[in-house]
Amino acid sequence: MEIKTKVTFKLKHLKRDSNQWSFYVLAIGLFISIPALSILFYLFNGVGEMWQHITTYFLFDYIKNSVILILGTSLLSFSIGTSAAWIVCKYDFRFRSLIESLLFLPLAIPSYIMAYTYVGLLGYQGLLIGWLQAIGLPLQKIEMMNIQGLIWVLSFSLFPYVYVGAKTMFISFPKVIQETATLLGASSKRYFFRIALPLASPAIIGGLFLVIMEVLNDYGAAKYFGINTFTTGIFRTWTALEDIQSAIYLSAILVALVFLLNILVKWYRRKKSYALRITTLEPEQRKRVLLSGKKKYVYYSILLIPVLFGFLLPVIQLLYWGYLTFHTMFNTALLTIALQSLFVGGVAAFFIVTMSIMLVYFSRWNNLKYLNFFKRIATIGYVIPGAIIGIGIIRSSQSIINFFSDYIGLNIGFLFYGSSVVLIYAYIFRFLAVSYNPIEANSLKFGKYLSESSYLLASSKIKTLFKIELPLLRYTLVSSFLLVFVDILKELPLTLILKPYTLQTLATKSYEYADDERVAEAAIPALLLIAIISCVMIFVSYWNKINEKSPKEANRFE
Amino acid sequence: MKNILDIQSLSKSYDGKKFALSDVNFSMKTGRICAIVGESGSGKSTLIRLIAGLERPNSGKISINGKTVSDDTKICSPDKREVGLVFQDFALFPHLTVVENLSFGLKKKDESIVKSLLALIKMQEYANVYPATLSGGQEQRVAIARTLALKPELLLLDEPFSNLDSNLKTALRQEIRLLIKKVGTSMVFITHDLIDAIDIADEIILLKGGKIIQHSTMTDFVAHIQDEDVKKILSDLTTNAERVLQMMKNL
Repeated sequence: MEIKTKVTFKLKHLKRDSNQWSFYVLAIGLFISIPALSILFYLFNGVGEMWQHITTYFLFDYIKNSVILILGTSLLSFSIGTSAAWIVCKYDFRFRSLIESLLFLPLAIPSYIMAYTYVGLLGYQGLLIGWLQAIGLPLQKIEMMNIQGLIWVLSFSLFPYVYVGAKTMFISFPKVIQETATLLGASSKRYFFRIALPLASPAIIGGLFLVIMEVLNDYGAAKYFGINTFTTGIFRTWTALEDIQSAIYLSAILVALVFLLNILVKWYRRKKSYALRITTLEPEQRKRVLLSGKKKYVYYSILLIPVLFGFLLPVIQLLYWGYLTFHTMFNTALLTIALQSLFVGGVAAFFIVTMSIMLVYFSRWNNLKYLNFFKRIATIGYVIPGAIIGIGIIRSSQSIINFFSDYIGLNIGFLFYGSSVVLIYAYIFRFLAVSYNPIEANSLKFGKYLSESSYLLASSKIKTLFKIELPLLRYTLVSSFLLVFVDILKELPLTLILKPYTLQTLATKSYEYADDERVAEAAIPALLLIAIISCVMIFVSYWNKINEKSPKEANRFE
Repeated sequence: MKNILDIQSLSKSYDGKKFALSDVNFSMKTGRICAIVGESGSGKSTLIRLIAGLERPNSGKISINGKTVSDDTKICSPDKREVGLVFQDFALFPHLTVVENLSFGLKKKDESIVKSLLALIKMQEYANVYPATLSGGQEQRVAIARTLALKPELLLLDEPFSNLDSNLKTALRQEIRLLIKKVGTSMVFITHDLIDAIDIADEIILLKGGKIIQHSTMTDFVAHIQDEDVKKILSDLTTNAERVLQMMKNL
């Protein structure tokens, strides 16, 4: 009855309350949601020919390996990320700032690149094996191309997500909490396990969720190590078995699992929201404990192990290979590929940030709030693995091409397959949330009153956007652009599926060499990619510091 | 004298279940200052946002200066209503200087208008500073002047004194009353403090649970302050009823 009344009320005022902004929210939401909706739509076509074969021989393996990978990587990332965050927040020691920054850098190395550097480091005559032999260890090689090896690679590549979340929470604890725990007789260990860890758990779980999403999205590392996961299975079903309908069914199972996980994470974070409330207290000036004695060496080791295995060793291996292949690999063709990567990444990032601004802006002035549902669908791409988005886009593109050819007599196939338009569209769907979320959060931080006040004064929503909202969001816009740009540079499965024949990016070139067992040749494009990403990440961190210090806007809205 | 504001059977619910405002009716004459008084959750902010056009009512009619701006079939956008709204936290644009804030709404940049506004609020020496460096009282004066620059028919103020300390409040109340009377506009402001209302307003509306429980001129309100029903309303409405009664007796 109540629902009926609500619906009647909404319908009664539909005409009065709808405005141009409602239409724009609906249009953009639908436009971006096409891949997700098309997967849903094609599910009704039933399973493909190979489905029986897949469920009999492969599905169990996909599920088992994906679950082991998720559990193993989560556990190892959690241990590395949380312990490193705790030490840098609680203790003071030499080179602390430098180590803090280095702990971010593993994110600059895509996991598929890290995967083949490890095979080089630990294989016969590998660099690391050579060093270990030199100190007297009788090792010939360490087998990495198994599921444990993949867990190792993914964990050392992805732990910074947990590290960042945990560090943000640990640093924001008011000093009074630890003082109270100490007065109540809690040891440092007890304080960590009973107070700090539970309070930081929502942020840590948020970081772990990102780790799991990246594990499920990974194609390159799993394929290189020969491990059957859901994502490699979707690729195989599609390309080797040529059964797109079964690939869609596999995708649907994976998406359902991801959504379930997403709901669980949201529920947990809401339930433990007390951890967020304490951050509203002003954290006191943190006085870190000076590290000394034997403890110092143990803690240095805990911090340097992830830096060593997550960044330095892979980079050293790449530099070694790069040195061997520099004269053949560093040429104008490679520079052209680098420029293509930067161009595609830049253009896509520009469109993504623009779309994010439009969605935030349109939904602010849209009076039909229930249309914001489409906004949510448009931003779910980040939790859908790239391979699935690729299938959704290929399937829907084909339908559009057929429609134009059958009913209008136009061949528009070249637009979809001969250019980067579809690839850029796919990036928009996949990475919209990366820029939308911070832009919306910062827009809310400044408060709707500024926009409303400007609109009442200037009688213009466009003037409000350009004179008030965009200038106030400028720091967020730049950092969002760069974060999306980095994600696009690293992206592999989606780019492999949707790139036009003529386009190569540093990521695809590096992967293709490694996939052809020409790992040494893969080093120069990989190093170039890592160098660009590292520079951008260092700049983002510097840029965010400027934003925090921005004096003239440092008022209550901050 | 004609009415600047007419409100008939106005209701608003955000979730379709609980009504923030329920069947509200009142009128206000041009040139008057009206205080809407109520505790948190009484529907004051919703009422002022509905008048400004920032929320959409479920039912009812709002007319400003004789023109219907909202009913069941049409809604006038906020910029067509000739109202000015000063928000509770003043909403000064932090990246613009005082002068840029004051001239923001002006169609043509007219230095003489900005200068006269600065003189009106006695802040000539602060022309080129950013809002972050202003005190709460200065921010409020800039926010009001910025709205007055557009010469609105009706000025709306959302809890104008809630962010200020008590000494500043007392001085500013009279300052604002004089300012508003000087420019001759009508004003509706909301407050949870009856003393603010008594000090400034010509008429008073008491709001509770989304309904109007009293609407009278301030003179009538004060004259009947000893009536049992008014005393009861006051003690329902505010925890400092004794202080309010004492203040009214003094008046």
